Amino acid sequence: MNRKDALKNIAMLVGATFSAPTLMAMDRWQSNPSFSANYFILSKEDSEIIAEVSEMIIPETTTAGAKSAGVPAFITMMIQDCYHEPEQTSFKKGVEAIKEANFLKMNQGERTRFLKALEKQTKEDMKAYHVKQTKMGDNEDREQMKNLAVGLPFWRLAKELTLLGYYTSEKGILASFDYVPIPGKFELTKLTPNQKSFAY
Amino acid sequence: MNLNLKAVKANTYDAIVVGSGMTGGMAAKELTERGLQVLMVERGKEIKHIEDYDTALKAPWEFEHRAKVPVFSAEELWSNSRFGSLANEETGKFFTNDKDNPFIEKRPFDWIRAYHTGGKSMHWGRQSYRWNKHDFEANAKDGMGVDWPIRYEDLEPWYTHVEKFVGISGQKEGLEVLPDGHFLPAMPMHAPETHFKNAVKQKLGRPVTIGRIANLTQPQPWHLDLGRASCQYRSKCNRGCPYGAYYSSLSGSIPAARKTEKLSMLHDSIVSELIYDEKSQKATGVRVVNQHTLEVTEYFAKIIFLNAGSMNTAALLLNSKSNRFQNGLGNESDQVGRNIMDHHLGVGASAKVEGFKEDYFFGQRPNALYIPRFRNWGKDKQLFLRGYGYQGGASRAGWSRGVGSDGFGASFKEDLTKPGEWTIGFGGFGEVLPNPENRMFLDPVKKDRYGIPMMVFDAAFGENELAMRKDMMNSAAEMLESAGFKNVSGNNRQDTHLGLGIHDMGTARMGRDPKTSVLNKYNQIHDCKNVFVTDGAAMTSSSCVNPSITYMALTARAADFAVKELKKKNL
Repeated sequence: MNRKDALKNIAMLVGATFSAPTLMAMDRWQSNPSFSANYFILSKEDSEIIAEVSEMIIPETTTAGAKSAGVPAFITMMIQDCYHEPEQTSFKKGVEAIKEANFLKMNQGERTRFLKALEKQTKEDMKAYHVKQTKMGDNEDREQMKNLAVGLPFWRLAKELTLLGYYTSEKGILASFDYVPIPGKFELTKLTPNQKSFAY
Repeated sequence: MNLNLKAVKANTYDAIVVGSGMTGGMAAKELTERGLQVLMVERGKEIKHIEDYDTALKAPWEFEHRAKVPVFSAEELWSNSRFGSLANEETGKFFTNDKDNPFIEKRPFDWIRAYHTGGKSMHWGRQSYRWNKHDFEANAKDGMGVDWPIRYEDLEPWYTHVEKFVGISGQKEGLEVLPDGHFLPAMPMHAPETHFKNAVKQKLGRPVTIGRIANLTQPQPWHLDLGRASCQYRSKCNRGCPYGAYYSSLSGSIPAARKTEKLSMLHDSIVSELIYDEKSQKATGVRVVNQHTLEVTEYFAKIIFLNAGSMNTAALLLNSKSNRFQNGLGNESDQVGRNIMDHHLGVGASAKVEGFKEDYFFGQRPNALYIPRFRNWGKDKQLFLRGYGYQGGASRAGWSRGVGSDGFGASFKEDLTKPGEWTIGFGGFGEVLPNPENRMFLDPVKKDRYGIPMMVFDAAFGENELAMRKDMMNSAAEMLESAGFKNVSGNNRQDTHLGLGIHDMGTARMGRDPKTSVLNKYNQIHDCKNVFVTDGAAMTSSSCVNPSITYMALTARAADFAVKELKKKNL
């Protein structure tokens, strides 16, 4: 999504918190060429790689896959909006490496083997980050990890954003879970065979 | 000075309440219900109950960034962002833009603010626990800080009073360490939590109870009268509750005060100072700066309640200088702005739960378990002073377990649609000792865009807190192990500072002696008796339990006293 629109959306969501001068300041960032939004630019081939990798993670089966749920565009937007330069760099590096490996020319089996190897490598790389779940407050968990100068590896970012994008999308939620926006009660129950998770 | 007498009259009320948050709301309710005309002055924007909760009923996919915090938003909310995902697309409107409202950190201070109607009552954790008898005696016993001028018995009826009004769901346990209150029906525990509760009781003799929380499980007639309904178990409280099921100033105290038709409210109105009259030796009103137009207006009243939030209340006193009070109103003790306390958190343990695979649940419980303090309690003696409690509980992993686990493709996708394993974890809330060196003060030169001196923070955790944290981590792990849980892993965050508990308090403490405290036993400023401070600033010590219900009880008690004194013409 367009960065300028994103800024306006955020400003609207947080209501009058942003004063007029702040909105103007945001516009100034918009036109500032050194700001990371313009640093992160993808080619058509890059976008295709992101789409094909996300579809390998969540393929179309009897239910929608990543591509049809709009995940590829979501990943790009998130990397632009929610990550700093180290992640943007490592993400782009990952895309480059996949490009060099001729991923788009591979068949399904080759792609699977390639990504399995990438996942194995990523697991090693992630050890340096000491990922940990932490109890933050009254009822809040949060993932803690060491802040390294090097951005999180491509595969970790791609997988996290594919799952987030898919399982919180309208298509993904309705296809995957029993969606109950207003439960109205809280009850202990027993799982029935093959019962899907509730989503709220 | 030429006073426009007509303007003075038009701007005159019986009482002025500064702030519309947890305690400002309660002060306005209690004062209007006792017949006073009240002006409530809120520095931030207006938020209307229900109609301004524009994210409350949105589906997950309607949030552009799916509740993650975009970089540019994190820059605007730089202090809020230290907590994590607090100020995101779902809840951001209930937090304050730090870039527009900067403060100075001589030492790091994680200040989380809420400049809008309802203040922090819009995003509080809703956990509501009475203090116990020993909490009020702690300073006197170990010599830290000064003695409280009141005891549990003084506050007991007022706890009941506010609990009934607020609506607290909880389980009576008959524990001295965690006195029972006036409760609505308790929320159930998950199966592994019940197992944990029984194991910890049996093996370690420590009680575990369901959280006592300000969500209506069974609304009473006085809740329904205000338009409040039962909890719908969506656990999206932080977006604002369109059912009014969780208590906030917006769902509870402000509507109650409005019913009396004696409440007037100002928004976007920053109180820069109190006006002190040397002759009558009273504060006669407040000076208010409009945050948009910067226009200055004065308002007058017989009594003034300060409920601006602990740090802003202290700043307001420090900025109210007169011949009589050259270092700030009520600051002859030099204690205003000192003794910043909070609860330290981000420390505990978590584990994997084996079994309970058939146990599931419908609805989302907006609540957790509570483990009351057991350190330095009864026969237990530690090298550190005071104690801590834990909050936490069990949950079943959802799709996000896929992020850190191996695999991708069709079966991976299918597997993530089903509930994963149970996990369980607890995080501690530790008492912070009063220390006069932990302080905030006004910068002598720098001013904010309203012309008000900027606030400087100079505070940090002390040795007692740091020693306590080690035990908080180890004891959490010990309890999880005692219940037979696997892969127990402790955690002790090193990147937290005072303020992150969002329980900042202590900057205008109550006490017996005007030389060492700011407020007397009825929250009156010692030498300016028509000014009452009843927000967190009044706290003489911090206990380890969540503070809001205690602030509210102190507020109701002080309001009752203030009106009686007014009637006796003592104010």
